[in-house]
This record gives sequence, structure tokens and C-alpha cells, in this order.
Amino acid sequence: MTNHYCDLKNADVILIMGSNAAEHHPIAFKWILRAKEKGATIIHVDPRYTRTSARCDFHVPLRSGTDIAFLGGMIHYILENKKFFKDYVLNYTNASFIVDNGFNFKDGLFSGYDPKKRKYDKATWVFDKDGKGIPQRDMSLTHPRSVFQLLKKHYSRYTLDKVSSITGVSKENLLKVYEIYASTGVPDKAGTECYALGWTHHTTGSQNIRTMSIIQLLLGNMGIAGGGINALRGEPNVQGSTDHCILYGNLPGYLKMLSASLDTLDKYLHKYTPESKDPQSANYYSNYPKFFVSFLKSLWEDKATKENAFGYSWLPKMDDGKHYSTMHMFDAMYAGKVKGYFCVGADTAVSTPNSNKVRKAMENLDWLVGENIFDNETHSFWKGPGVDPKKIKTECFLLPAAATMEKEGSQSNSGRWVQWKYKAAEAPGDALPVGEIEIKIMAAVKKLYEKEGGPNAEAIVNLKWDYLDSKGHFDVIKVAKRINGVFLEDTVIEDKAKGTKTEFKKGQLVPGFGNLQADGKTACGNWCISGSYTADGINKMASRGKEDPTGLGLFPNWSFAWPVNRRILYNRASCDVNGRPYNPKRKLLEWTGDKWAGDVPDGPWPPQADRAKGKYPFIMQRDGLGALFGPGMAEGPFPEHYEPLEGPLEKNLLSSQRMNPAAEIFKSDMDQVANASEKFPYVCTTYSCTEHWCTGALTRWQAWLLEMQPELYVEIGEKLAREKGIKNGERIKVSSIRGEAPCIAMVTKRFKPFTVDGKEVHQVGMPFNYGWLFPKDSGSDSTNMLTPTVGDANTFCPEYKAFMVNVEKL
Amino acid sequence: MNKQPELVKLIDTTLCTACRGCQVACKQWNELPGLKTKQLGTYQNPPDLQWNTWTLIRFQEYEDKAGNFQWIFRKDGCMHCTDAACVKVCPSGSLYYTPLKTVGIHRDKCIGCKECVSACPFHIPKYDAKTDKVYKCDLCYSRIKESHAPACVKSCPTGALTIGDKDAMIKKAYARVKELGSDANVYGDKFVDGTHVIYVLQFKPEVYEELPVNPKVPLSVIVWKDLLKPLSLLAAGGVLGGAFLHYMIHGPKYPDLPKDENTEGGK
Amino acid sequence: MQKGYVQVTDSYERILHWMLAISCLLLCVTGLGMMFQTFNFIGYLFGGLKSLKLVHNFTGLVFAASLILVIRMWWKEAGVFVFPEDLEWIKVAGGYLWHVDKVPETGKYNPGQKLFFLTVVGAGILMIITGLIMWFPTALPAGLVRWMYPLHALGFVAIFAFFFIHLYLGTIGNPGTVPAMLTGWMDRAVLKKQHPGWLKEMEHEGKLVVYGEEKKSGAHGHHA
Repeated sequence: MTNHYCDLKNADVILIMGSNAAEHHPIAFKWILRAKEKGATIIHVDPRYTRTSARCDFHVPLRSGTDIAFLGGMIHYILENKKFFKDYVLNYTNASFIVDNGFNFKDGLFSGYDPKKRKYDKATWVFDKDGKGIPQRDMSLTHPRSVFQLLKKHYSRYTLDKVSSITGVSKENLLKVYEIYASTGVPDKAGTECYALGWTHHTTGSQNIRTMSIIQLLLGNMGIAGGGINALRGEPNVQGSTDHCILYGNLPGYLKMLSASLDTLDKYLHKYTPESKDPQSANYYSNYPKFFVSFLKSLWEDKATKENAFGYSWLPKMDDGKHYSTMHMFDAMYAGKVKGYFCVGADTAVSTPNSNKVRKAMENLDWLVGENIFDNETHSFWKGPGVDPKKIKTECFLLPAAATMEKEGSQSNSGRWVQWKYKAAEAPGDALPVGEIEIKIMAAVKKLYEKEGGPNAEAIVNLKWDYLDSKGHFDVIKVAKRINGVFLEDTVIEDKAKGTKTEFKKGQLVPGFGNLQADGKTACGNWCISGSYTADGINKMASRGKEDPTGLGLFPNWSFAWPVNRRILYNRASCDVNGRPYNPKRKLLEWTGDKWAGDVPDGPWPPQADRAKGKYPFIMQRDGLGALFGPGMAEGPFPEHYEPLEGPLEKNLLSSQRMNPAAEIFKSDMDQVANASEKFPYVCTTYSCTEHWCTGALTRWQAWLLEMQPELYVEIGEKLAREKGIKNGERIKVSSIRGEAPCIAMVTKRFKPFTVDGKEVHQVGMPFNYGWLFPKDSGSDSTNMLTPTVGDANTFCPEYKAFMVNVEKL
Repeated sequence: MNKQPELVKLIDTTLCTACRGCQVACKQWNELPGLKTKQLGTYQNPPDLQWNTWTLIRFQEYEDKAGNFQWIFRKDGCMHCTDAACVKVCPSGSLYYTPLKTVGIHRDKCIGCKECVSACPFHIPKYDAKTDKVYKCDLCYSRIKESHAPACVKSCPTGALTIGDKDAMIKKAYARVKELGSDANVYGDKFVDGTHVIYVLQFKPEVYEELPVNPKVPLSVIVWKDLLKPLSLLAAGGVLGGAFLHYMIHGPKYPDLPKDENTEGGK
Repeated sequence: MQKGYVQVTDSYERILHWMLAISCLLLCVTGLGMMFQTFNFIGYLFGGLKSLKLVHNFTGLVFAASLILVIRMWWKEAGVFVFPEDLEWIKVAGGYLWHVDKVPETGKYNPGQKLFFLTVVGAGILMIITGLIMWFPTALPAGLVRWMYPLHALGFVAIFAFFFIHLYLGTIGNPGTVPAMLTGWMDRAVLKKQHPGWLKEMEHEGKLVVYGEEKKSGAHGHHA
């Protein structure tokens, strides 16, 4: 979230799209209802009418996988009808930048596409620069190659008729949403967007979010109270796990994972440290080396020296151009290239797309180690349906883990609040916190390497993991302090701007990431979280002050929000170039002449009207401004609508490029695809339900929850059910080209057929919370038997939300 | 609780997201088991209130005549009537009015006669054959008497469930209904002398499944408890008194026969 | 036993009578314990209200069985009115309420007794049906089940009232009649006064069993 949960109450319009907030964020949903009680309009755009729809002002159904078309239409509407917030767009976005002459977009493809590699060369996705290397701007926004004009041109194709025909949303509904949402493009109105897996689970997932970012920038909704783009992340700690690099491409704090061609620290730092010649751009990532070196020091401390490039060579590196997502991992496992598998707190035999392939892949393993609080379909794959245990060679282990309430530590919510929690109960039996299991395994591995040596032994032998307490147990406080960062030597930090010098002692905790050093004097496990443990030993994550000085629900003394306790990101954009709040009624921040008052500002610099010292508000962007033109994305700087891997249409109605040109296609014999096939004529989407959590591997054992949602079901509209002769509550079969999922039919008014390209298209939906292991006699198995191995081109988040199936009576 | 107020729980159905936290919290606090169920083609599960389910979110797919669709959620459970048919019929004093004016249940006193099951106009009390007892919500009497909110209210994330002093809650309910406008209405304060659970309903009561439009203590209960009970005492008393008077006034009917006849028969 | 006494009931009749009477009494007492909370104390006699309920329910079964047998046994004698004799008797209320020189002769059972019998039969059946539904109420709609309670109570009112009338008339109200249901032998003089018609008929048919005399075969049968 750029903002945070309590801030939702400040919005005038809330667009919930790509999220079923009421069902999956039931606690947070109260802030949405609070906004509604104050008169805000709540809109739900979703293929299915859900419990969220029931509480919104209105629900607009759209066909799964057409969000960019829907939102592209909104961009078109905003630009056509001049609903954008001009002052904001001009000053705070790159609308005025001039794009390279070689840049173009033709029939669904941007310049630089290589169809063989399914990849873009981004050489033309750049801005023209002046002699000083500063991007050229046209403040009249009329230059034909200005971002603004290119944006306008790109989305002029997204007409009401076209969008309606693609999405299946009526023109009336499109206009209704566009009008209401665009009404927030004025200084005193705030519109926000809540999304979740409904946007990310697509081959165009990242671009779904990008499209909304463009809208928010156009309407001046970024950096303001009641605005922003808000990813509603899963409980209890999905935000925390991403912050601490659960994704293969990241190191802690979203630092980049290394790749083979970056064989020296210098090369690596050069690549990932952005450079800006514009004196008004803070370009905060210019500090990248400080964060990265401090991270290396946190791993190896004294053993990481200037001489050995702080142990850079010890870190594993990815092959260039290769990816290591869960889907790639199972693809490699299926090809017999992966021999051992640690499955920690996951149930991949249920959660990963194309479960048949995943389960088959696991048969190639020599060993499998599970760490979990329950057995699940992954650990027990060797005795699953259709598997002959005698033929499985894999040796399987299950290490009992402590549940979340059986251990102390931090949990981060979507609003980046890192909240401390305490142990409520002892873990049963031999169960240990996962952290302790890892440390103990690592200690044993370390001993083996010390004794026997091995490839890259230094990385392991030198690892500084002194996180055990005097009794030999995992000490979370020690870890928390290491994450915060510590001075490894006596250090004097000079602030030239303020003319101050501050001394820090060896062993002292760093006050924040601003104090981190690139020369090895500091160690910091995760620069984002730095400042969560103060130098005088106060755990700010555990603070529980309820003061709300701004009245906007920032609650600055409740826990610690990264970065540096900032509650709303890019908050300087809530003020005009002179630092005066755009909306005095929701005063998030104000320049008082010498400092900012309100939320923790995005940097201490004066507002940007001060040409000498002032800085632009989007300090994490190289150019300091909101990116309407976003060259960082794999499939283009402007989001474009592409059909899902499997859809009901043979052609994309907008171009001849049917699906995301940059999305990787998996090619194993088990990765079959059936687009626009008569055999699989219905769009299917999958989701969770309030009563279960993810694969249900934790919740299916809970009798109270199971009582409410006992077995797998498919939600089918009444019309389709009538056509197929399917009765409510009847056991039926849902199948895709990859597999089958027997389940109970839930015939409902909440799914209505769409009219797409003039034809009737039915959509069905299924929860993904079930598996064969428990409850035993339900006959349910994973919905992911049906889903394809394909994902977003940037993140490889699988496309669980749109694929094709058939439904049949048994 | 120094002064024991008359409590009312307000269920604002327009704020309910049917997360069913209340349904689970109720089972947790009251130590009720989760039982095996089947997916019957609806989110509503168990299908009805049952002995282990004292509160249930009812899911209803409602389409009005104009074709407007609304998924209706209603938290069903004991209404805690002021004039409670169940208390009226309970033979053992198991069902009773608490000092907070809610309807409590002394389960140890319940004899499983099931009279309340049929008497309740809201179909709330549920019988369990295994324990031969009747179960229903007691508004977490164990909690409210210690000034804690009932488990359901405590668990509600959106503020759809609140509890407080009767007058304040009724006022709040009417204020909310005014704010909502159109068909919104307050349900519960106008019958059975007022219930201690009241609803803010978005639609007219007749729209809701399993919700009586005009609930009252059944006539049968009135006939029985208010008429036949005294009548039976009267009848018993009358017969005893009548017999006594008959004996006194008319006297017993002796066989007035001469002795010879008597001996004659003995031949 | 005095010589000259006449046998009016056999042991089968008496056992059934008392089964019915005792179960009825027990039902009344246990029913009262559940009907009025002020009578809840009766539960203590049975080890608690819950066991009282069980006693009531199972006694109900005994009562039901007895009633069916009783109906089979006495229907002909007590279930059917015989005209015009019974009408005559009713006209003078059997001489119970005012002085009557000569009470019209009736059969073994006078219309008063018949009325009592029919009430017991009618109310008893009502009690059995309503009672059974109350015992297993979940099988039927609550709206219907609800009415079983007042009907059960109504039956109770009737039975309870008649029970006392019967008790009074069978004991101190009609001295000399008690032995009919204790020993089965009655003073012929009492019979002559109260059931002259039956006495004559039995004498006529030669079925009368008199104490001290040789028992004649084919004494009046209960097995109709």
C-alpha cells in the first residue's frame, strides 16, 4: 500500500477492483465502510458479485483478465474530458518529458520487440535529454513526443464501444464508473484503489497495477490522504515476507538479486544505482551501495572486507535471462533438474498452477523436507491420489513448526506497519519456530563445511548467524536488531547541509537507513526496516500509542511503518510546489517555511518551487516524478490490453497481439493450452474464501471453519446451469485441458453471462482452498489441477484468475 | 456492573459483510463443536440454527421486482424477547429472564421437553437428542454480566454488531434507518414487548427468509398458559369442592335395603 | 368374604383398572410437576425434573397400553348407551343430585359410569396422541406442535376433574362400591340398589356368581 488501512476512511471514492476486500480483509474493510458512512462512493468491479459487492454502492461485473481494457478506457475518458488534475500532472509527473524519437507502438507491440526471445530491447524507451543530461520537458504538454501526447494517443484506441466489447461491461456501467472515479481529479477530492490477487494473478498483473498508477497520477491521487494505490496483502505477514525477500528476484529490502554477468560488486552497484543529473531529483536510490554493502556486512560481518568486495562473490547468482519463480522451479523439477526441495510453510502441491505437473515433478526428487504446523498434500504427495508409494523414491521429512501465535516476532500489514507480537502459547511437542529450525540446520551444515569443505564453502563457513540466546534458542530480538542495523565501528557521520557531526559507537544500533555506510562500517539486514529499533534500545514495532494528531488516522506512535515511520508514501505530492496542501481539509503535510509538518515527509528538502534546495516529491524515482511513462516494465511503458493465455476469443480486439508478448510460455508436455476451444468454452477464475486461508492447509483442520465451507464448489450462473441441466448442490465435474476437479455446483444469481465481441460468454469461479488430504471423504482436490503454468512477465505471478474450462454433470 | 442496565444488541445488516466471525466466536466462547456438514449449494452452513450453532449468518440471493439484485446477509439468533414465549412455556425454569432483561438458560435445569422449541415465534431454541437438552444464545450472559461484550459483538470487525443501553441503541437504530432511507426499518422494538436484539434492515421484513413479519407469543401458548393452566386448577378445585358439598348436602347413596332381602340373596 | 356376595369383576378387569388408574394418577402428578413451576418440587420425588419427565413419558406408554386393553374389555358394557333405560336414568341424574323415589334400572354400568368411561377414553386418546407428538416434536411443523400443548392441557383438565368425581363416587359417595375393584365381590343389596337391571339379567341368564355357591361355567366374559 502506498497508504495504509486506516487511511481508507479519508477517501471520497473507493474503487475496489481486483480485490474481494470484504471477504479477504474483513477487519480492514471497516475503514472502507467508515468512508461509506461519511458519504464516499464505493465501487466494486469484479467478474463475480461477492460479499464485497453486497456492501458497495454498486457492483460492475467484468470478464476476467480485461482490467487494462477497462482502465485504459478510463484513461481515455479522463484525457478526452479533461478531468485530470493539471497542476499535479504538470509538476509531479513525467507528462511533459519528451520520449526518444525511435519509440513507437504498432499493432500491440512497442519498439524493440524480439519475438524469439519474447523480450523487448528497451533502448528507445528513454527520454530526450538536454546538454546537462537532464530530461527535456514541454510544459505546454503539446509536443507530439511528450509523454502526455503519447499517452493520449495510446489510449485513444480504448473507446467505450471497444472496451465494452472486450470486457463485457455495458457502456452505461463503464461511464458510470469513469464519471464517478474521475470526479476525484480535483484538489479537494481523494480517490483510492484497493486491489489484491484479482489484479496480480494475471499474465498482465503488474500492468494492471501500472494502469491504475497512471490514473492516480492523472487525477492527483498519489501521495494524498484517502488516495494512493493500495495492495491489500494477505494476513498475517505477506507484506513482511516480501519485505524480507520471499521472491526469487529480491534480496531483503527489495535489493536486486545478483546475476552471473554482474560478476563484481562494482558492476552490480553500477547497474542498480540509478543516476540523475537533475539537481532537483533526490534520486534516493543513489544510496543503493550503502544499503547493499550493509546487507553483505550483516551476513558475514568481519569476514566481509573491502578487499573481498564484502563477500560479493559468495552470494549465489542467477543465470542471465533465466528466472527462478515457483513455476520455473517445478518446471525444472519436472525436467529432473532439481533433486532436493525444502517446502517451508507452503503447500505447493495444491497452490502451484497445473498441480498434476507439480505432483509429477516431485516424483523426481531425491528428498523433500517440509516445515509446517500440519501435514499437507505436498509433504504427503507420495501417497496422494493415483500415486503408488512403492514407486516413489523420494525420501520425505516433515519438521514440526510452531504456529504464528506460538512465537514472538514482527508481522507486517499491508500498510507497511511492522507490528510486534508476543508468544501466546508454547508450541506443542517438538515443534520449533521456523527461524530456529533454519538456524539449527544451518549450524549443522556449517559444521559439515568446516570439516569437509565444498563448493563456495566460505559463504557458509563465514556466515555470521549469532541469533541464539544463552539457552540455545532462536532470539528474535537479536534478529530484529540486526535487521535494524548496527555500527560495526566507531563512526562519525557528517551532515554537510546542516553542518553537524554525530558520533556513533561500535555496537550501537543505527537510527535509520540514512546512517548506513557503503564502506563496511554498518551492518543492516534490511534497510527498509531500519529505524524500527532505536539506538537506545526501544523496539518501536512494539509501540502502541493511539495518538492521532492530524485526525487523519496516521497513528504515528502505533508500531513502526517503513520507511522511517512514514505513513503515506510520496506525501509531499499532497502539497503544491510551494508546500501548501492541495486540500486544507485533509492536511497530510505542510511546509512551514523551514520544515515539513504532519506525516514523516519524503525527505527533509524544501518543496520543489525552491529551485536551489527543493526536490521533486517522488524521491524513489530516478527523475523524481510520477511515471506516466514507465520503462521499467517488461511489456512496455504504457500498459496495453492483452488476452489471458487462455481466453474465449481467438483474437485480441485491440491488436493482432493476442496475449502478453513478454510473458514466458512453458513448453513441457504437461503444459497444454486450449484457447478459444469448443471443448473448454467457459472462463474460469479462482479465489479464496473468508473461511479458509490459501490452500486451506491450515484451516481445513479447523472444525469451525470446515463446518462453514466443507468442500470444493464451483459458482455457476443460473443461465449456464439451466443450459447444462445442473442443479444447485449437485456434484459435477469441472475440467480444463490439464486436469479435472470434481466439486459441488453452487448455482447463483451472482454470476451473469457477459456479452463479449457480440457473443455470450459464461464465467464460473472456484475457491482454491481444498486438497485431497483433509477432509478425507469429501472427494475434493486442488482447483489448481485446472490452472495453466503461466505468469506475469515481470513477477511470474501465475495466472490463476483467467483460464478456460468446461462444466459437466457427472 | 453497578447498575444493571437493560441491554439491547443492535444488528445493522447494512454493515454486515457475512464474514461469519460471529458464528465462530460464538462457538469458541460457548465451547461448541464444529460438526460435519456438506456443501449444499450455498454459503449458508450449517443450513439452519442447530444445537451447536446459536448464531447463523443467513445468505439470501434477493432480486426485487425491478431486477435489482442484493445478496442479503442476516445474522439469525435469539431475539431475547421481553415477553418470551420460551420462558412462558418452560416447565423447569431453565429459561429465565436475567437481571439484564435478556433470556438466559440454565442448562442444568433443562429437561429436554422441547416445549420452547415449538413455542418460539423465531424458531430459535434447538434440541440435541444426545444430551437431551435445548440450546440457544444467552447473549453471552457470562460475559455481559461482567460488562464484556458478547463474543459475537466482540468479534465483529465492521461495527455491524453493537450492544448497549436499550434506549440508546433504539435511538441509534432509528438514526441509522433515517440515514439509510427508502425501505430501511427497525425490527424488534415493536413486538413481544420489545426484543433485546434489534435489527436495522435494509428491506421490509417480509423480504427476509425465516424472519416473521409480525412475531408474537403464539395463541396456543396464551390459551394454554394463561387460560388452561388456571382453568385446570379451577376444575380440580371445583371437583374436590363439589364432591365435598355433595357429600355434605346430598349425602352418600347408601343401599337402603331390608335385611331379609339381603340374606335371601345369600341362599 | 360374606356369604351371598356377588362377584362383579374378575382379576383381569381389576388389574387393568388399576394399571390405568395408577398410571393416570402418576401422569397427573408428574404432569403437574412439569405444568406448574410451583409444583417443580414434585421432581424431587423422582430424582429430579428430568427423570420426572422420563417417568411421565414412559408411564404414558403404560397408560396408552392399558387404555387400549380397557377399551377392548369394557367397550360393550360401558361404551354404548342403551335406550331408553339410560335416558330415563339420565333424566333423574341417577338420583345423585336430588331425591328420587325409584332410580330407573340400568345395565352393569349406569350412564354416569359410561360417561366417565367415554371421557377417559376420549381424553386418554387425546393425551396419547398429543403426548407422543410433544415427545417427538421436531418431525412436525412448530405451528402444529404448539397446539398439542393446550390440547394436552385440555385433556388434563377433563381427566383430572373426572378423576376426582370417580374417586368420590367410587368411595365415600357410594358406600359399599369400593370392594368391586378390590376383591371383585359386592354386597348383593348394594347391587340391587345400584345395578338392579344387571343383577336381574345375570340372574335370568344364570350367570351370577355368588360366594359359597358353586361357580357356574361361562361366567361373564371380558373377552369380547
